[in-house]
Amino acid sequence: MRLFFQYKVMVIMRAIWFISQIAFFGLIASRMVAVENYFRYYVGGLSIMTLYSAAIFIGFDIYEEAEHGVFEYLLSLPVTRRQLVLGRSIGGGLRAFIYVSPLICISLYVIGIGNPVNFLLALFSLFLFAFGVSGMSITLAVVIKSSDRYDILMGVLDALIVRLSTAMYPLSFVKEATPVYGWIANFNPVTFAADLFRWGAGIEAALSFENPLLPFLGIVLFFVFFTFVGIVLYDKAIEGGGWQ
Amino acid sequence: MRHIVHILENDFRNFLRYKWWLVGLISMNLTDLFIMAIVYNRMLNPELSRQIKSYFDFFAPGLTVTGLFASAFMIGREVNMERRREVHQYMLSLPMTRFELALGRVLSGGLRGMVYMAPLLAICFAFVGLPTPAQFLVILLVLFFLAMGISGLSIAIAVSTTSLDKFVTARGLVYYLLFFCSSVFYPFSLIEQLGREGRFPMFLVTFARVNPLSNASDLIRSFILGTPSFSAEMIASVLIFSVVFTFLAAFAYIKLMERV
Repeated sequence: MRLFFQYKVMVIMRAIWFISQIAFFGLIASRMVAVENYFRYYVGGLSIMTLYSAAIFIGFDIYEEAEHGVFEYLLSLPVTRRQLVLGRSIGGGLRAFIYVSPLICISLYVIGIGNPVNFLLALFSLFLFAFGVSGMSITLAVVIKSSDRYDILMGVLDALIVRLSTAMYPLSFVKEATPVYGWIANFNPVTFAADLFRWGAGIEAALSFENPLLPFLGIVLFFVFFTFVGIVLYDKAIEGGGWQ
Repeated sequence: MRHIVHILENDFRNFLRYKWWLVGLISMNLTDLFIMAIVYNRMLNPELSRQIKSYFDFFAPGLTVTGLFASAFMIGREVNMERRREVHQYMLSLPMTRFELALGRVLSGGLRGMVYMAPLLAICFAFVGLPTPAQFLVILLVLFFLAMGISGLSIAIAVSTTSLDKFVTARGLVYYLLFFCSSVFYPFSLIEQLGREGRFPMFLVTFARVNPLSNASDLIRSFILGTPSFSAEMIASVLIFSVVFTFLAAFAYIKLMERV
């Protein structure tokens, strides 16, 4: 958590990006499209895009530590490897969530809350989503082992994952554009998170599901898979100088 | 002139070191065009559809300008790094005048932007439409001046900030203001409409109108799509921006080196 808040510039930049996206893009694009209440829809998706980007950041910390020899220090700590890796994964998700909280509050101010119980359930699923993204980031970081390639890959992956989801537009339009895009968006964890957040906030028009349990299960699967894979790979990568 | 060519050669070598970065950036830009623009195309307001016909066609010239901006701005990061590492002392020892050095840096930033933008412009022509040879030359010239202005703006920010953090924050502010408050992503008529309704401050509407990114995107659109109609203001806005920031950057760069 402390490490994260050392990246003041990143924190400021993301906040500026978030606010300018709402004030400029959201406001103007809502006039450009024929989707009812698109402004509220877009603001809901924007919170998830920001959460995703913030949770990805844990991978950069791993490279920093590898380059500065912090791994050896971490291995000397009186904690088991599993505890260390699990703590890292949870820390990554938690700090992303804490960072996005004020931005989510701004979103809620704009879009409101429909049903508080639904909203709490949606918030819980966002927690799991952030942990899953954090696990995915750790997994890719330890597999790639090159900060430059990782940086590029995450940029491209970010663009693809976000564009091929319902973060910016309803699923029906993605399907209409091409069925392949629609199929990918249908199983995209960003779609699950964005739609659950909108469901929690009471923006129920243009949701891609009828039963919220399905996207919730999707997020749980995403979380379990990447947390488990991330832990196993990270555990192996740091043991005995395996990173090099 | 020979000295400026040396600076260009050095900066291009640096630029080509980021091959994977360039491939990644082009992929991100193409993702915007081939996913986001295609989906937005389906969502267009019918009233607006009559005006711009296809969002894909509308957005492709804007994306070219976006790519040009991102790559031309990269020179600032290098200048900022040189400032922090005090490479100026070595620069001052080079057998060239300070003006040649400063102009060379601005010029190389602009030319690098043009090189990066070339595949995006080619895709725009291939998918949207071809301009006449004369229009093509005007587009290239205006984009070159825009790239010079952006490179100058980037260098001016880079030499005015003492740390990478401050440079990156300032860059973010400039990026978001110039991109979102322009007609790169949406037609200017929408910004104007929001301004008339009082939902958008009028100074931002004026800013969007004179924004060189708006004018460069609209110039390409006017030639290959026919809308908005061409006006000399489009060229004038980019030229003024370019001249102001090229000289401001050269002046700031020389001042910085004189302080060493």
